[in-house]
Amino acid sequence: MSEAPSLTPSGGARAGSRAPRGGSLSKLAGFAAFVALFVQACHGVHARPQDLISGVHGMADILSRAMPPDLGQFVPSLEPIVETIDLAVFGTVLGVVLAFPLALLAASNVSPARPLYYFARAIIGVTRSVPDLVWALLFVTAVGLGPFPGALALGVHSIGMLGRLFSEVIEDMDMGPVEALTLTGASRLQVFTHAVVPGVLPTLLGISLYRFDENLRSSLVLGFVGAGGIGFMLLTAMNLFQYQTVSYLLIVTFVLVALAERGSAFLRSRVQ
Amino acid sequence: MSAMQPGMAEPIGFRPATLPDAGARAPGNASAGFGARLAVRNLVMRYPNGHTALDGVSLSVGAGEMVVILGSNGCGKSTLMKCVVGLNRPSGGSVEVAGRDLAALRGGALRAARLPVALISQHANLVKRRSVLANVCTGALGRHRSLATTLGRVPKSEIEPARGFLDEVGLLHLAPQRAGTLSGGQAQRVAVARALAQRPQVVLADEPVASLDPEAADDVMRLLRRLATDDGLAVVAVLHQPDLAARYADRLVGMRGGRVEFDERASAVGAQRIANLYVAAAR
Repeated sequence: MSEAPSLTPSGGARAGSRAPRGGSLSKLAGFAAFVALFVQACHGVHARPQDLISGVHGMADILSRAMPPDLGQFVPSLEPIVETIDLAVFGTVLGVVLAFPLALLAASNVSPARPLYYFARAIIGVTRSVPDLVWALLFVTAVGLGPFPGALALGVHSIGMLGRLFSEVIEDMDMGPVEALTLTGASRLQVFTHAVVPGVLPTLLGISLYRFDENLRSSLVLGFVGAGGIGFMLLTAMNLFQYQTVSYLLIVTFVLVALAERGSAFLRSRVQ
Repeated sequence: MSAMQPGMAEPIGFRPATLPDAGARAPGNASAGFGARLAVRNLVMRYPNGHTALDGVSLSVGAGEMVVILGSNGCGKSTLMKCVVGLNRPSGGSVEVAGRDLAALRGGALRAARLPVALISQHANLVKRRSVLANVCTGALGRHRSLATTLGRVPKSEIEPARGFLDEVGLLHLAPQRAGTLSGGQAQRVAVARALAQRPQVVLADEPVASLDPEAADDVMRLLRRLATDDGLAVVAVLHQPDLAARYADRLVGMRGGRVEFDERASAVGAQRIANLYVAAAR
Protein backbone atom coordinates (compact mmCIF):
# COMPACT_ATOMS: atom_id res chain seq x y z
CA MET A 1 0.00 0.00 0.00
CA SER A 2 1.43 3.36 -0.97
CA GLU A 3 1.72 6.14 1.52
CA ALA A 4 -0.56 9.15 1.19
CA PRO A 5 1.38 12.09 -0.23
CA SER A 6 2.14 14.95 2.14
CA LEU A 7 0.44 18.24 1.37
CA THR A 8 3.31 20.23 2.84
CA PRO A 9 6.72 20.59 1.14
CA SER A 10 8.52 19.33 4.23
CA GLY A 11 7.62 17.99 7.61
CA GLY A 12 4.32 16.71 6.29
CA ALA A 13 4.26 13.74 8.60
CA ARG A 14 4.79 15.88 11.68
CA ALA A 15 2.14 18.33 10.58
CA GLY A 16 -0.23 15.43 9.94
CA SER A 17 0.30 13.99 13.41
CA ARG A 18 -0.18 17.39 15.04
CA ALA A 19 -3.53 18.06 13.36
CA PRO A 20 -5.54 15.38 15.19
CA ARG A 21 -4.04 16.44 18.53
CA GLY A 22 -5.09 20.03 17.81
CA GLY A 23 -8.55 18.80 16.91
CA SER A 24 -8.84 16.87 20.18
CA LEU A 25 -7.76 19.89 22.18
CA SER A 26 -10.35 22.11 20.54
CA LYS A 27 -13.03 19.45 21.16
CA LEU A 28 -11.98 19.23 24.79
CA ALA A 29 -12.10 23.01 25.11
CA GLY A 30 -15.55 23.04 23.51
CA PHE A 31 -16.82 20.38 25.91
CA ALA A 32 -15.38 22.27 28.90
CA ALA A 33 -17.09 25.46 27.72
CA PHE A 34 -20.39 23.61 27.41
CA VAL A 35 -20.07 22.17 30.93
CA ALA A 36 -19.22 25.65 32.30
CA LEU A 37 -22.27 27.09 30.55
CA PHE A 38 -24.53 24.42 32.02
CA VAL A 39 -23.13 24.90 35.55
CA GLN A 40 -23.73 28.63 35.20
CA ALA A 41 -27.30 27.94 34.03
CA CYS A 42 -27.92 25.66 37.06
CA HIS A 43 -26.67 28.45 39.31
CA GLY A 44 -28.81 30.97 37.47
CA VAL A 45 -32.05 29.01 37.91
CA HIS A 46 -31.22 28.12 41.54
CA ALA A 47 -31.47 24.43 40.71
CA ARG A 48 -31.99 22.41 43.91
CA PRO A 49 -32.54 18.68 43.23
CA GLN A 50 -33.16 18.08 46.94
CA ASP A 51 -36.35 20.15 46.67
CA LEU A 52 -37.64 17.73 44.08
CA ILE A 53 -37.12 14.87 46.51
CA SER A 54 -38.73 16.67 49.44
CA GLY A 55 -41.62 17.76 47.19
CA VAL A 56 -42.52 14.22 46.13
CA HIS A 57 -45.10 13.97 48.91
CA GLY A 58 -46.90 17.12 47.75
CA MET A 59 -46.97 15.91 44.15
CA ALA A 60 -48.24 12.50 45.19
CA ASP A 61 -50.98 14.22 47.18
CA ILE A 62 -52.10 16.27 44.17
CA LEU A 63 -52.03 13.18 41.94
CA SER A 64 -54.16 11.20 44.39
CA ARG A 65 -56.68 14.04 44.58
CA ALA A 66 -56.71 14.24 40.75
CA MET A 67 -57.80 10.61 40.38
CA PRO A 68 -60.10 9.55 38.91
CA PRO A 69 -60.51 12.22 36.22
CA ASP A 70 -63.90 13.89 36.37
CA LEU A 71 -65.55 12.59 33.20
CA GLY A 72 -68.72 14.44 34.17
CA GLN A 73 -66.98 17.54 32.78
CA PHE A 74 -67.29 16.16 29.25
CA VAL A 75 -70.36 18.18 28.25
CA PRO A 76 -69.28 21.46 29.95
CA SER A 77 -65.85 21.14 28.31
CA LEU A 78 -67.20 20.79 24.77
CA GLU A 79 -67.57 24.52 24.23
CA PRO A 80 -64.05 25.37 25.47
CA ILE A 81 -62.68 22.56 23.29
CA VAL A 82 -64.34 24.01 20.20
CA GLU A 83 -63.18 27.47 21.29
CA THR A 84 -59.59 26.23 21.55
CA ILE A 85 -59.74 24.75 18.05
CA ASP A 86 -61.34 27.97 16.76
CA LEU A 87 -58.52 30.01 18.30
CA ALA A 88 -55.96 27.92 16.43
CA VAL A 89 -57.91 28.04 13.15
CA PHE A 90 -58.44 31.83 13.31
CA GLY A 91 -54.85 32.52 14.33
CA THR A 92 -53.42 30.28 11.63
CA VAL A 93 -55.64 31.62 8.84
CA LEU A 94 -54.94 35.24 9.84
CA GLY A 95 -51.24 34.46 10.02
CA VAL A 96 -51.12 32.74 6.61
CA VAL A 97 -53.19 35.40 4.84
CA LEU A 98 -50.98 38.25 6.10
CA ALA A 99 -47.66 36.38 6.13
CA PHE A 100 -47.77 35.36 2.45
CA PRO A 101 -47.74 38.87 0.91
CA LEU A 102 -45.23 39.97 3.53
CA ALA A 103 -43.00 37.02 2.66
CA LEU A 104 -43.07 38.00 -1.01
CA LEU A 105 -41.87 41.47 -0.08
CA ALA A 106 -39.31 40.04 2.34
CA ALA A 107 -37.79 37.51 -0.09
CA SER A 108 -34.76 39.14 -1.68
CA ASN A 109 -35.15 37.27 -5.01
CA VAL A 110 -38.72 38.42 -5.75
CA SER A 111 -39.13 41.59 -3.66
CA PRO A 112 -40.07 44.46 -5.98
CA ALA A 113 -38.15 47.21 -4.15
CA ARG A 114 -35.50 47.47 -1.44
CA PRO A 115 -37.51 49.75 0.91
CA LEU A 116 -40.43 47.28 0.79
CA TYR A 117 -38.02 44.47 1.57
CA TYR A 118 -36.78 46.22 4.73
CA PHE A 119 -40.32 47.24 5.70
CA ALA A 120 -41.57 43.63 5.45
CA ARG A 121 -38.51 42.30 7.27
CA ALA A 122 -39.13 44.77 10.12
CA ILE A 123 -42.78 43.72 10.54
CA ILE A 124 -41.83 40.06 10.49
CA GLY A 125 -39.07 40.70 13.02
CA VAL A 126 -41.31 42.54 15.48
CA THR A 127 -44.28 40.16 15.28
CA ARG A 128 -41.97 37.17 15.60
CA SER A 129 -39.77 38.35 18.43
CA VAL A 130 -42.66 39.25 20.78
CA PRO A 131 -44.04 35.95 22.23
CA ASP A 132 -47.73 35.12 21.67
CA LEU A 133 -48.34 35.23 25.43
CA VAL A 134 -47.21 38.87 25.52
CA TRP A 135 -49.36 39.66 22.47
CA ALA A 136 -52.31 38.07 24.29
CA LEU A 137 -51.74 40.26 27.37
CA LEU A 138 -51.61 43.33 25.13
CA PHE A 139 -54.80 42.37 23.28
CA VAL A 140 -56.63 41.48 26.51
CA THR A 141 -55.85 45.02 27.66
CA ALA A 142 -57.09 46.40 24.35
CA VAL A 143 -60.23 44.36 23.62
CA GLY A 144 -60.99 42.71 26.98
CA LEU A 145 -61.14 39.07 28.14
CA GLY A 146 -62.34 36.25 25.91
CA PRO A 147 -61.17 34.21 22.95
CA PHE A 148 -60.81 37.15 20.54
CA PRO A 149 -57.61 38.61 22.08
CA GLY A 150 -56.15 35.08 22.11
CA ALA A 151 -57.00 34.57 18.45
CA LEU A 152 -55.46 37.93 17.57
CA ALA A 153 -52.34 37.08 19.56
CA LEU A 154 -51.90 33.79 17.73
CA GLY A 155 -52.54 35.49 14.39
CA VAL A 156 -50.04 38.29 14.94
CA HIS A 157 -47.32 35.98 16.24
CA SER A 158 -48.00 33.59 13.34
CA ILE A 159 -47.42 36.44 10.86
CA GLY A 160 -43.85 36.70 12.09
CA MET A 161 -43.16 32.99 12.34
CA LEU A 162 -44.76 32.13 9.00
CA GLY A 163 -43.45 35.26 7.27
CA ARG A 164 -39.88 34.28 8.12
CA LEU A 165 -40.30 30.66 7.01
CA PHE A 166 -42.27 31.56 3.88
CA SER A 167 -39.68 34.10 2.77
CA GLU A 168 -36.88 31.56 3.26
CA VAL A 169 -38.75 29.02 1.14
CA ILE A 170 -39.26 31.61 -1.61
CA GLU A 171 -35.59 32.63 -1.47
CA ASP A 172 -34.51 28.99 -1.80
CA MET A 173 -36.80 28.16 -4.71
CA ASP A 174 -35.53 27.25 -8.16
CA MET A 175 -35.41 30.50 -10.16
CA GLY A 176 -35.01 28.69 -13.48
CA PRO A 177 -38.75 28.49 -14.28
CA VAL A 178 -39.14 32.15 -13.26
CA GLU A 179 -36.46 33.20 -15.73
CA ALA A 180 -37.86 30.89 -18.42
CA LEU A 181 -41.37 32.33 -18.14
CA THR A 182 -40.08 35.90 -17.97
CA LEU A 183 -38.37 35.32 -21.30
CA THR A 184 -41.60 34.09 -22.91
CA GLY A 185 -42.94 37.63 -22.40
CA ALA A 186 -45.17 36.75 -19.44
CA SER A 187 -46.06 39.61 -17.10
CA ARG A 188 -44.72 39.75 -13.53
CA LEU A 189 -48.06 38.59 -12.16
CA GLN A 190 -48.23 35.73 -14.65
CA VAL A 191 -44.72 34.66 -13.72
CA PHE A 192 -45.78 34.80 -10.08
CA THR A 193 -48.91 32.67 -10.50
CA HIS A 194 -47.49 30.23 -13.05
CA ALA A 195 -43.95 29.73 -11.74
CA VAL A 196 -43.54 31.05 -8.18
CA VAL A 197 -46.79 29.80 -6.64
CA PRO A 198 -46.70 26.23 -8.03
CA GLY A 199 -43.05 26.02 -7.02
CA VAL A 200 -43.50 26.93 -3.36
CA LEU A 201 -47.15 26.20 -2.55
CA PRO A 202 -46.76 22.62 -1.26
CA THR A 203 -44.00 23.65 1.12
CA LEU A 204 -45.97 26.68 2.32
CA LEU A 205 -49.04 24.50 2.93
CA GLY A 206 -46.92 22.08 4.93
CA ILE A 207 -45.52 24.90 7.04
CA SER A 208 -49.03 26.33 7.58
CA LEU A 209 -50.33 22.97 8.78
CA TYR A 210 -47.42 22.67 11.17
CA ARG A 211 -48.22 26.19 12.40
CA PHE A 212 -51.82 25.13 13.10
CA ASP A 213 -50.48 22.32 15.23
CA GLU A 214 -48.27 24.83 17.12
CA ASN A 215 -51.11 27.31 17.50
CA LEU A 216 -53.37 24.66 19.00
CA ARG A 217 -50.80 24.02 21.73
CA SER A 218 -50.24 27.74 22.25
CA SER A 219 -53.99 28.40 22.52
CA LEU A 220 -54.09 26.13 25.58
CA VAL A 221 -51.54 28.32 27.35
CA LEU A 222 -53.20 31.56 26.24
CA GLY A 223 -56.28 30.63 28.27
CA PHE A 224 -54.18 31.25 31.39
CA VAL A 225 -54.14 34.97 30.61
CA GLY A 226 -57.89 35.12 30.06
CA ALA A 227 -58.00 34.32 26.36
CA GLY A 228 -60.66 31.59 26.65
CA GLY A 229 -60.60 27.95 25.58
CA ILE A 230 -59.54 24.92 27.60
CA GLY A 231 -56.67 26.87 29.11
CA PHE A 232 -59.07 29.24 30.84
CA MET A 233 -61.17 26.31 32.12
CA LEU A 234 -57.99 24.61 33.35
CA LEU A 235 -56.88 27.74 35.22
CA THR A 236 -60.30 28.09 36.85
CA ALA A 237 -60.27 24.43 37.97
CA MET A 238 -56.77 24.81 39.44
CA ASN A 239 -57.73 27.97 41.32
CA LEU A 240 -60.75 26.11 42.78
CA PHE A 241 -58.57 23.05 43.67
CA GLN A 242 -60.76 20.83 41.42
CA TYR A 243 -57.92 18.47 40.61
CA GLN A 244 -60.17 15.76 39.12
CA THR A 245 -61.38 18.35 36.58
CA VAL A 246 -57.75 19.34 36.00
CA SER A 247 -56.73 15.74 35.25
CA TYR A 248 -59.69 15.34 32.90
CA LEU A 249 -58.74 18.54 31.04
CA LEU A 250 -55.10 17.43 30.79
CA ILE A 251 -56.27 14.19 29.14
CA VAL A 252 -58.44 16.23 26.73
CA THR A 253 -55.43 18.44 26.00
CA PHE A 254 -53.23 15.44 25.28
CA VAL A 255 -55.83 13.94 22.94
CA LEU A 256 -56.34 17.25 21.11
CA VAL A 257 -52.62 17.86 20.61
CA ALA A 258 -52.02 14.26 19.52
CA LEU A 259 -54.88 14.43 17.02
CA ALA A 260 -53.64 17.77 15.66
CA GLU A 261 -50.12 16.37 15.28
CA ARG A 262 -51.29 13.26 13.46
CA GLY A 263 -53.76 15.22 11.36
CA SER A 264 -51.27 17.85 10.25
CA ALA A 265 -48.59 15.20 9.59
CA PHE A 266 -51.06 13.29 7.40
CA LEU A 267 -52.10 16.39 5.46
CA ARG A 268 -48.47 17.49 5.07
CA SER A 269 -47.61 14.11 3.55
CA ARG A 270 -50.52 14.51 1.13
CA VAL A 271 -49.53 17.95 -0.16
CA GLN A 272 -45.83 17.15 -0.72
CA MET B 1 -44.19 24.30 -43.55
CA SER B 2 -43.54 27.96 -43.89
CA ALA B 3 -42.07 30.03 -41.08
CA MET B 4 -44.40 30.56 -38.13
CA GLN B 5 -45.59 34.06 -37.56
CA PRO B 6 -46.52 35.49 -34.13
CA GLY B 7 -50.19 34.97 -33.50
CA MET B 8 -50.55 31.88 -35.62
CA ALA B 9 -52.47 29.25 -33.68
CA GLU B 10 -52.15 26.04 -35.64
CA PRO B 11 -49.71 23.44 -34.34
CA ILE B 12 -46.70 22.39 -36.26
CA GLY B 13 -47.34 18.96 -37.68
CA PHE B 14 -45.06 16.09 -36.78
CA ARG B 15 -42.84 14.88 -39.53
CA PRO B 16 -40.33 12.06 -39.36
CA ALA B 17 -36.80 13.28 -39.02
CA THR B 18 -35.14 13.36 -42.40
CA LEU B 19 -31.93 15.21 -41.89
CA PRO B 20 -30.69 17.12 -44.86
CA ASP B 21 -27.04 17.31 -45.69
CA ALA B 22 -26.51 20.37 -43.58
CA GLY B 23 -23.15 21.25 -44.98
CA ALA B 24 -24.23 20.95 -48.60
CA ARG B 25 -27.42 22.91 -48.05
CA ALA B 26 -25.98 25.69 -45.99
CA PRO B 27 -25.06 29.02 -47.43
CA GLY B 28 -21.86 30.68 -46.50
CA ASN B 29 -23.52 33.76 -45.18
CA ALA B 30 -26.87 33.89 -43.45
CA SER B 31 -28.01 37.13 -44.95
CA ALA B 32 -27.40 35.79 -48.45
CA GLY B 33 -30.31 33.68 -49.63
CA PHE B 34 -32.24 33.51 -46.35
CA GLY B 35 -33.07 37.06 -45.29
CA ALA B 36 -31.79 37.62 -41.74
CA ARG B 37 -34.21 36.88 -38.90
CA LEU B 38 -31.57 37.79 -36.34
CA ALA B 39 -28.93 40.40 -37.03
CA VAL B 40 -26.34 41.19 -34.37
CA ARG B 41 -24.12 44.09 -35.32
CA ASN B 42 -20.91 45.13 -33.64
CA LEU B 43 -22.12 44.05 -30.21
CA VAL B 44 -19.99 45.16 -27.25
CA MET B 45 -20.54 44.05 -23.66
CA ARG B 46 -18.28 45.67 -21.09
CA TYR B 47 -18.83 45.05 -17.38
CA PRO B 48 -18.38 47.78 -14.75
CA ASN B 49 -15.14 46.09 -13.59
CA GLY B 50 -13.66 46.76 -17.03
CA HIS B 51 -13.89 43.19 -18.34
CA THR B 52 -14.95 43.08 -21.98
CA ALA B 53 -17.10 39.98 -22.59
CA LEU B 54 -18.07 40.85 -26.17
CA ASP B 55 -15.83 42.92 -28.39
CA GLY B 56 -17.58 43.88 -31.62
CA VAL B 57 -19.46 40.66 -32.34
CA SER B 58 -21.52 40.53 -35.53
CA LEU B 59 -23.73 37.63 -36.51
CA SER B 60 -26.56 37.16 -38.94
CA VAL B 61 -28.94 34.19 -38.98
CA GLY B 62 -31.57 33.64 -41.62
CA ALA B 63 -34.89 31.84 -41.62
CA GLY B 64 -34.45 28.08 -41.83
CA GLU B 65 -30.81 28.29 -40.86
CA MET B 66 -29.08 26.63 -37.93
CA VAL B 67 -25.93 28.20 -36.56
CA VAL B 68 -23.81 26.67 -33.81
CA ILE B 69 -21.47 28.79 -31.73
CA LEU B 70 -18.35 27.09 -30.39
CA GLY B 71 -15.74 28.32 -27.99
CA SER B 72 -14.17 27.74 -24.61
CA ASN B 73 -15.71 28.77 -21.31
CA GLY B 74 -15.69 32.53 -20.82
CA CYS B 75 -15.31 33.35 -24.52
CA GLY B 76 -18.62 35.25 -24.54
CA LYS B 77 -21.06 32.71 -26.01
CA SER B 78 -23.61 32.82 -23.19
CA THR B 79 -23.21 36.57 -22.79
CA LEU B 80 -24.09 36.90 -26.46
CA MET B 81 -27.24 34.83 -25.90
CA LYS B 82 -28.23 36.94 -22.89
CA CYS B 83 -27.72 40.12 -24.86
CA VAL B 84 -29.90 38.81 -27.69
CA VAL B 85 -32.84 38.04 -25.38
CA GLY B 86 -32.38 41.24 -23.40
CA LEU B 87 -31.21 39.66 -20.14
CA ASN B 88 -27.97 41.61 -20.46
CA ARG B 89 -27.89 45.15 -21.72
CA PRO B 90 -25.03 45.56 -24.21
CA SER B 91 -22.65 48.50 -23.96
CA GLY B 92 -22.80 49.03 -27.70
CA GLY B 93 -24.08 47.67 -30.99
CA SER B 94 -27.48 46.40 -32.01
CA VAL B 95 -29.58 43.23 -31.87
CA GLU B 96 -32.19 43.27 -34.58
CA VAL B 97 -35.09 40.81 -34.51
CA ALA B 98 -38.07 41.17 -36.83
CA GLY B 99 -36.91 44.65 -37.75
CA ARG B 100 -36.63 45.98 -34.17
CA ASP B 101 -33.45 46.73 -32.26
CA LEU B 102 -33.84 44.95 -28.89
CA ALA B 103 -30.71 46.58 -27.52
CA ALA B 104 -32.38 49.97 -27.68
CA LEU B 105 -35.56 48.92 -25.86
CA ARG B 106 -36.49 48.73 -22.19
CA GLY B 107 -39.30 47.51 -19.94
CA GLY B 108 -42.62 46.69 -21.59
CA ALA B 109 -41.38 47.54 -25.07
CA LEU B 110 -38.50 45.06 -24.69
CA ARG B 111 -40.87 42.39 -23.33
CA ALA B 112 -43.11 42.78 -26.37
CA ALA B 113 -40.27 42.97 -28.89
CA ARG B 114 -38.54 39.81 -27.67
CA LEU B 115 -41.66 37.66 -28.09
CA PRO B 116 -40.29 36.31 -31.42
CA VAL B 117 -37.14 35.09 -29.61
CA ALA B 118 -37.31 31.89 -27.57
CA LEU B 119 -34.47 30.72 -25.33
CA ILE B 120 -33.82 27.09 -24.41
CA SER B 121 -31.33 26.81 -21.56
CA GLN B 122 -29.02 24.05 -20.40
CA HIS B 123 -31.62 23.13 -17.80
CA ALA B 124 -35.18 22.75 -19.01
CA ASN B 125 -36.46 25.00 -16.19
CA LEU B 126 -39.90 23.45 -16.16
CA VAL B 127 -42.34 24.00 -13.29
CA LYS B 128 -41.96 20.54 -11.83
CA ARG B 129 -45.30 20.29 -10.05
CA ARG B 130 -47.34 21.22 -13.13
CA SER B 131 -48.27 18.90 -15.96
CA VAL B 132 -46.19 18.68 -19.10
CA LEU B 133 -49.07 20.18 -21.10
CA ALA B 134 -49.44 23.13 -18.71
CA ASN B 135 -45.70 23.78 -18.97
CA VAL B 136 -45.92 23.94 -22.74
CA CYS B 137 -48.92 26.29 -22.54
CA THR B 138 -46.92 28.74 -20.41
CA GLY B 139 -44.82 29.47 -23.48
CA ALA B 140 -47.82 31.36 -24.87
CA LEU B 141 -48.43 33.55 -21.81
CA GLY B 142 -46.83 36.58 -23.43
CA ARG B 143 -49.70 36.70 -25.92
CA HIS B 144 -52.47 36.14 -23.35
CA ARG B 145 -52.76 38.85 -20.72
CA SER B 146 -56.26 37.96 -19.48
CA LEU B 147 -57.41 37.86 -15.87
CA ALA B 148 -57.66 34.06 -16.06
CA THR B 149 -54.02 33.65 -17.09
CA THR B 150 -52.97 36.16 -14.44
CA LEU B 151 -54.74 34.00 -11.86
CA GLY B 152 -52.74 30.96 -12.93
CA ARG B 153 -54.99 29.38 -15.58
CA VAL B 154 -53.46 28.27 -18.85
CA PRO B 155 -54.96 29.92 -21.96
CA LYS B 156 -57.68 27.54 -23.23
CA SER B 157 -57.04 28.41 -26.85
CA GLU B 158 -53.42 27.24 -26.45
CA ILE B 159 -54.21 23.73 -25.25
CA GLU B 160 -54.69 22.14 -28.67
CA PRO B 161 -51.67 23.89 -30.22
CA ALA B 162 -49.63 22.82 -27.18
CA ARG B 163 -50.66 19.22 -27.77
CA GLY B 164 -49.47 19.64 -31.36
CA PHE B 165 -46.08 20.92 -30.17
CA LEU B 166 -45.79 17.99 -27.78
CA ASP B 167 -46.60 15.71 -30.68
CA GLU B 168 -43.85 17.36 -32.68
CA VAL B 169 -41.27 16.62 -29.97
CA GLY B 170 -42.66 13.08 -29.63
CA LEU B 171 -44.02 13.43 -26.11
CA LEU B 172 -47.78 13.81 -26.56
CA HIS B 173 -48.35 10.66 -24.52
CA LEU B 174 -46.77 12.40 -21.50
CA ALA B 175 -49.03 15.47 -21.67
CA PRO B 176 -50.90 14.86 -18.38
CA GLN B 177 -47.80 13.73 -16.48
CA ARG B 178 -46.06 15.93 -13.92
CA ALA B 179 -42.99 17.63 -15.36
CA GLY B 180 -40.95 16.63 -12.32
CA THR B 181 -41.16 12.97 -13.31
CA LEU B 182 -39.47 13.42 -16.71
CA SER B 183 -35.93 12.36 -17.58
CA GLY B 184 -33.41 15.06 -18.53
CA GLY B 185 -33.83 14.41 -22.25
CA GLN B 186 -37.62 14.41 -22.06
CA ALA B 187 -37.61 17.63 -20.02
CA GLN B 188 -35.40 19.32 -22.60
CA ARG B 189 -37.77 18.25 -25.38
CA VAL B 190 -40.68 19.71 -23.41
CA ALA B 191 -38.64 22.92 -23.14
CA VAL B 192 -38.41 22.90 -26.94
CA ALA B 193 -42.20 22.46 -27.15
CA ARG B 194 -42.64 25.38 -24.72
CA ALA B 195 -40.37 27.48 -26.91
CA LEU B 196 -42.53 26.59 -29.93
CA ALA B 197 -45.67 27.65 -28.03
CA GLN B 198 -44.11 31.11 -27.94
CA ARG B 199 -44.42 31.11 -31.79
CA PRO B 200 -40.83 32.33 -32.20
CA GLN B 201 -39.01 33.34 -35.32
CA VAL B 202 -35.65 32.84 -33.63
CA VAL B 203 -34.79 29.97 -31.26
CA LEU B 204 -31.68 30.30 -29.09
CA ALA B 205 -30.35 27.21 -27.34
CA ASP B 206 -27.68 27.82 -24.70
CA GLU B 207 -25.85 24.52 -24.19
CA PRO B 208 -29.09 22.56 -24.60
CA VAL B 209 -27.42 19.14 -24.42
CA ALA B 210 -24.76 19.82 -21.79
CA SER B 211 -26.42 17.62 -19.18
CA LEU B 212 -27.77 14.90 -21.48
CA ASP B 213 -26.43 11.50 -22.44
CA PRO B 214 -25.32 11.07 -26.11
CA GLU B 215 -28.62 9.53 -27.24
CA ALA B 216 -30.79 12.21 -25.62
CA ALA B 217 -28.40 14.89 -26.91
CA ASP B 218 -28.81 13.55 -30.42
CA ASP B 219 -32.61 13.62 -30.06
CA VAL B 220 -32.60 17.26 -28.97
CA MET B 221 -30.17 18.31 -31.70
CA ARG B 222 -32.25 16.52 -34.34
CA LEU B 223 -35.29 18.37 -33.03
CA LEU B 224 -33.55 21.75 -33.24
CA ARG B 225 -32.38 20.92 -36.74
CA ARG B 226 -35.95 20.13 -37.72
CA LEU B 227 -37.18 23.48 -36.37
CA ALA B 228 -34.86 25.16 -38.85
CA THR B 229 -35.38 22.82 -41.79
CA ASP B 230 -39.10 22.10 -41.56
CA ASP B 231 -40.48 25.12 -39.72
CA GLY B 232 -38.20 27.77 -41.13
CA LEU B 233 -37.02 29.11 -37.78
CA ALA B 234 -33.64 30.72 -37.28
CA VAL B 235 -31.84 28.50 -34.74
CA VAL B 236 -28.71 29.50 -32.83
CA ALA B 237 -27.18 26.94 -30.48
CA VAL B 238 -24.21 27.20 -28.17
CA LEU B 239 -22.43 23.87 -27.89
CA HIS B 240 -19.30 22.32 -26.45
CA GLN B 241 -19.54 19.26 -28.70
CA PRO B 242 -17.81 19.97 -32.04
CA ASP B 243 -18.96 16.63 -33.48
CA LEU B 244 -22.62 17.44 -32.85
CA ALA B 245 -22.08 20.94 -34.19
CA ALA B 246 -20.55 19.64 -37.42
CA ARG B 247 -23.37 17.14 -37.90
CA TYR B 248 -26.31 19.45 -37.40
CA ALA B 249 -25.26 23.03 -38.13
CA ASP B 250 -25.36 24.93 -41.39
CA ARG B 251 -22.75 27.35 -40.12
CA LEU B 252 -20.21 27.25 -37.34
CA VAL B 253 -19.19 30.35 -35.48
CA GLY B 254 -16.01 30.14 -33.41
CA MET B 255 -15.55 32.62 -30.59
CA ARG B 256 -12.48 33.48 -28.55
CA GLY B 257 -11.91 36.32 -26.11
CA GLY B 258 -15.23 37.98 -26.91
CA ARG B 259 -14.55 38.06 -30.65
CA VAL B 260 -15.71 35.99 -33.61
CA GLU B 261 -12.74 33.95 -34.86
CA PHE B 262 -14.55 32.35 -37.79
CA ASP B 263 -18.06 32.24 -39.21
CA GLU B 264 -18.20 29.73 -42.05
CA ARG B 265 -20.11 26.82 -43.52
CA ALA B 266 -19.85 23.78 -41.26
CA SER B 267 -18.20 21.73 -44.01
CA ALA B 268 -15.53 24.39 -44.50
CA VAL B 269 -14.33 24.43 -40.90
CA GLY B 270 -11.64 21.89 -40.17
CA ALA B 271 -11.22 20.06 -36.88
CA GLN B 272 -7.91 21.82 -36.26
CA ARG B 273 -9.48 25.28 -36.32
CA ILE B 274 -12.10 24.16 -33.83
CA ALA B 275 -9.44 22.59 -31.62
CA ASN B 276 -7.46 25.86 -31.75
CA LEU B 277 -10.36 27.65 -30.05
CA TYR B 278 -9.89 25.50 -26.97
CA VAL B 279 -6.12 25.12 -27.07
CA ALA B 280 -5.58 28.85 -27.16
CA ALA B 281 -7.87 29.27 -24.17
CA ALA B 282 -6.04 26.58 -22.21
CA ARG B 283 -2.78 28.49 -22.63
